[in-house]
Amino acid sequence: MNQTQKILIAVAVVAVLVVSVAAGLVVTQKKGSLLLATTTSTQDSGLLEYLLPVFEKEYNCEVRVVAVGSGQALEMGKNGDADVLMVHSPASEAQFVKDGYGTNRTSIMYNWFVVVGPDSDPAGVKNSTSAVDAFERIYDNGTAGKAKFVSRADNSGTYTKELSLWASVNSTWTKTNVSEWDSSWYLQAENGMGAVLDMCEEKNAYTLSDDATYYSRVEQELIPHLNITLTGDAKLKNQYSVILVNTTLWPHINKTLAKDFLDWITSQAGQDVIKSYERYGKQLFTPNAPGYTTQAIQLGTSAVVTSAVPDKTRPGPPPCPG
Amino acid sequence: MVLDISYSVIQVTLLSLYVSGCATFLGSAIGIPLGALIGLREFGGKGLLKTVTYTLYGFPPVISGLVIYYLFSRAGPLGSFGILFTPTAMILAETLLVIPLTTGITISSVTEVDRSIKDTIISLGANRRQSVLTVLREAWVGVVMAAMIGFGRCIAEVGAAYMVGGNIQGETQVLTTAIMMETRLGRFDYAVGLGVVLLGVAMAVFLFLRYLQEKEVL
Repeated sequence: MNQTQKILIAVAVVAVLVVSVAAGLVVTQKKGSLLLATTTSTQDSGLLEYLLPVFEKEYNCEVRVVAVGSGQALEMGKNGDADVLMVHSPASEAQFVKDGYGTNRTSIMYNWFVVVGPDSDPAGVKNSTSAVDAFERIYDNGTAGKAKFVSRADNSGTYTKELSLWASVNSTWTKTNVSEWDSSWYLQAENGMGAVLDMCEEKNAYTLSDDATYYSRVEQELIPHLNITLTGDAKLKNQYSVILVNTTLWPHINKTLAKDFLDWITSQAGQDVIKSYERYGKQLFTPNAPGYTTQAIQLGTSAVVTSAVPDKTRPGPPPCPG
Repeated sequence: MVLDISYSVIQVTLLSLYVSGCATFLGSAIGIPLGALIGLREFGGKGLLKTVTYTLYGFPPVISGLVIYYLFSRAGPLGSFGILFTPTAMILAETLLVIPLTTGITISSVTEVDRSIKDTIISLGANRRQSVLTVLREAWVGVVMAAMIGFGRCIAEVGAAYMVGGNIQGETQVLTTAIMMETRLGRFDYAVGLGVVLLGVAMAVFLFLRYLQEKEVL
């Protein structure tokens, strides 16, 4: 190999490096940008892909999404690693705001949790009268060796809801308690919703799922033997809220854009976008920001529930400490 | 297969190459001189240091990710840099994975070469500096191999990339994290498609490096 060839190859290597570095810089240098920490379900259901471009266009900005469990999303807000949060874990959210880590907690929309189980329905959940009754049946049949339940066990909003349902069956069933249940029937997956549904399909088990992820899995024909065994109980409402991260604690946060986002998503325009999002032939989320006027909503299998009114009982944002 | 997805596969692939490339470069720039230093010098505790380095070959990416996450979270000691959820954080986390590999393999290579040729070159009248350079030149194939293995580890790694990158579309989404997301979404066909791209890219890079080695550019 002669000198010229060596130089040519060296130039090629350098060129590749420069191009890739430049590509890296181009994608990192953004103008107005907002870091939204949210739960996997809003991303996995395709809502964010549908919703965010509208906001980005109107405000000429970029929304960067980190989709994690609600627990981690709140932790990110606490540590100042996100500008704004969109989560569904009401009890933890209230605590988060009470501890002074966030402000302006506002409900934006809800969808439904469903209790999903195998064709054979060994615990007879289809005959249950309420979510609490369903969970009691699953526990009784589980401990008797007739049924199985797969738990997210991952600090997600869904897991928080599952725990609250166990606690409604028996007030002594705390998180610690539940996590010690026998793994012969109570499987703690520590995994995402989709993976847990796949596990239920394999193991003929029950689980608690949000309906969006369930329907998407059904549409993809991945869980042919899983059915909705219970839906429509008011306890299964899955409320999403937006929370601003406390800018007094974290001055670097993009305060203006975060507030713009909150204002937009709770406005008539933003709420209408949420309402118009359909997949699997169904409206997946029902907007319910304070003051938003909704008409009667078609909820598919969840239509038994008629509580589609704006949630105005929610307390307003508490004063920001410090 | 047509990938009907909202992000650009080319951009994701370029970012994979960029992050892995930078991490390999940094990891080599630190690991190779360090390995040469450890390999060619005699000092107390050398055996222990070598054992530690070799153990860290298996350094779990999630731990490397966790370390970077804690250091660079806004609440962490280096939070003011604001690099969490950027490619820079991913590069740092993956650099931590490469350093033990490049250090360890360089130690082995120079030790091997050192034993076989040192006496010869010293008997030929080489001074200390000349002998070190000769040993490094002879060990070069092993050292380049170390960098290549490091690159392979980075481009295939997902735990650290997900944790400190956050899989932000168009910004920190790389091939492995995109595959994880597609799997979570149940779009296994897309995940497999991206997997093929990942393998193809890795193969192209290694073939290119092999070519450079054969042509003795490296």
